[in-house]
Amino acid sequence: MLLHFERLGSWKWVLVGITALTTAFLLLPILFIAALSFGSSQWLIFPPPSWTLRWYREFFADPRWIEAAWTSFKIAALVTVFSVGIGLCASFALVRGRFKGREALKALFLTPMILPVVVLAVALYAFFLRLGLNGTVTGFVIAHLVVALPFSILAITNALEGFDKSIEDAAVLCGASPLEAKFRVTLPAIGHGLFSAAIFSFLTSWDEVVLAIFMASPTLQTLPVRIWTTLRQDLTPVIASASTLLVLFTILLMMLVALVRKGFKS
Amino acid sequence: MSNASSTSALVVRAPRRNLLPKTLGPAMPALILLFLFFVLPVVSLLLRSVLEPEPGLSNYATLLGSETYLRIFLNTFLVSALVTVLSLLIGFPVAWTLAIMPAHWSRIVFAILLLSMWTNLLARTYAWMVLLQRTGIVNKTLMNLGLIDQPLTLVNNLVGVTIGMVYIMLPFIILPLYGVIRRIDPAILQAASLCGATRWQSLWRVLVPLAAPGMAAGALMVFVMSLGYFVTPALLGGTSNMMLAELIAQFVQSLVNWGMGSAAAFVLLVVTLALYALQLKLFGTSQMGGR
Repeated sequence: MLLHFERLGSWKWVLVGITALTTAFLLLPILFIAALSFGSSQWLIFPPPSWTLRWYREFFADPRWIEAAWTSFKIAALVTVFSVGIGLCASFALVRGRFKGREALKALFLTPMILPVVVLAVALYAFFLRLGLNGTVTGFVIAHLVVALPFSILAITNALEGFDKSIEDAAVLCGASPLEAKFRVTLPAIGHGLFSAAIFSFLTSWDEVVLAIFMASPTLQTLPVRIWTTLRQDLTPVIASASTLLVLFTILLMMLVALVRKGFKS
Repeated sequence: MSNASSTSALVVRAPRRNLLPKTLGPAMPALILLFLFFVLPVVSLLLRSVLEPEPGLSNYATLLGSETYLRIFLNTFLVSALVTVLSLLIGFPVAWTLAIMPAHWSRIVFAILLLSMWTNLLARTYAWMVLLQRTGIVNKTLMNLGLIDQPLTLVNNLVGVTIGMVYIMLPFIILPLYGVIRRIDPAILQAASLCGATRWQSLWRVLVPLAAPGMAAGALMVFVMSLGYFVTPALLGGTSNMMLAELIAQFVQSLVNWGMGSAAAFVLLVVTLALYALQLKLFGTSQMGGR
């Protein structure tokens, strides 16, 4: 009976109550920040005494915020390209290759996902000190690529495992070159996997804080680093407006994902 | 049965073998990247813990011999354990409800779960810094309700860290648990009640044991993630309630003590990998992952 919603009796309301409270717990802080970003109070009093766009104006008027956002975007875009490209090649080897230690290789590829990020951040920071890569776009891209690649490989190997290779073989039998068959038959068929890999890679880089804190220099900061350094000084409502913009961006991406998924299904 | 399937597998595989790339060539870019910028840096960092300032285990002796550092280890374990237990206690009923509630309701809950998960970590932590401050809305509400006379100190201590971390970890426990409960056959619980089990008996002796592997896997994942968490403890915990990840960062960034920093990193790494090995042994690879 416990797995039939309608037959739970009084328990139904307890469960629904807990779920509603938890959902509110998850949602309210985000709405709260959005509300405060339009509030006039410097001290983030809630409910705000009056409404204003002042914090958004300050955000857009400050070149340091805009520059940080642009840096974030550039790095995330580069990470996406490399992550999908390298991940696609690696996935072909993992799914189709027949060599010893394939499982071990896959485990190695996924390890950056489970390693505490702070350990990797400190290790790369030390390494980049010697190479002079701290505070460069290259350094950022490499660091983010290491943590984004596992998500990309997971998404693409999943798609590739679900793709029947005999279709590609059929294309080759019909006269396509192996490379042509891959590009014109296999890649379109695993498009949803490539898309997920791209989105995950982009978001991993775009939202990443810990590696970025270590890679950043006073002249090269990503948006999360800028928020971090500002937060350590005070709780200014400008951060609320920056956060709200980030949430909006997230919602847009989620809608894009939903739309594309629908497109792939039909 | 097994005979038939293995023969058919042979039939399918035999003509294909020639077309398969036999080398790991396409994996090389990823392999080189990970070797140069993952394996090499991490290994050389760990070497520094036994080489600097002089060869030997002195860093580990200092780290494990001092009360200050032991308190940080203890803090880290306590907060992670508390976060895990709270996430599980809240997450189980939510995952259960999600698994059985009408689809149009569960879709809304899922959308909110995903929104929360995808919202920038700093934005979420900032929200809690504002909500929990002395003049924040949580304190105000409690005072207006007459539950407290003085504002509670909810940030810059482990209370704040725990609230902020539970907030972040909840989706990571709800989503896998939802999958596990979804796969349980409702008929088993119907059978239990037909055989005369009360609802409490069905809960404790049927549903919970069936969901236990999912709970254990999710809990272990949340625990391990919490152990190494940096951002939320640093912002909500303040300097006097440091956790392990902050200690590592502090050794490296402010104190420039690479020996101690890498020793602390090594402790975190060993504990993390040991717990993941345990998880793999107990539950296989299927539950691995998460950001």
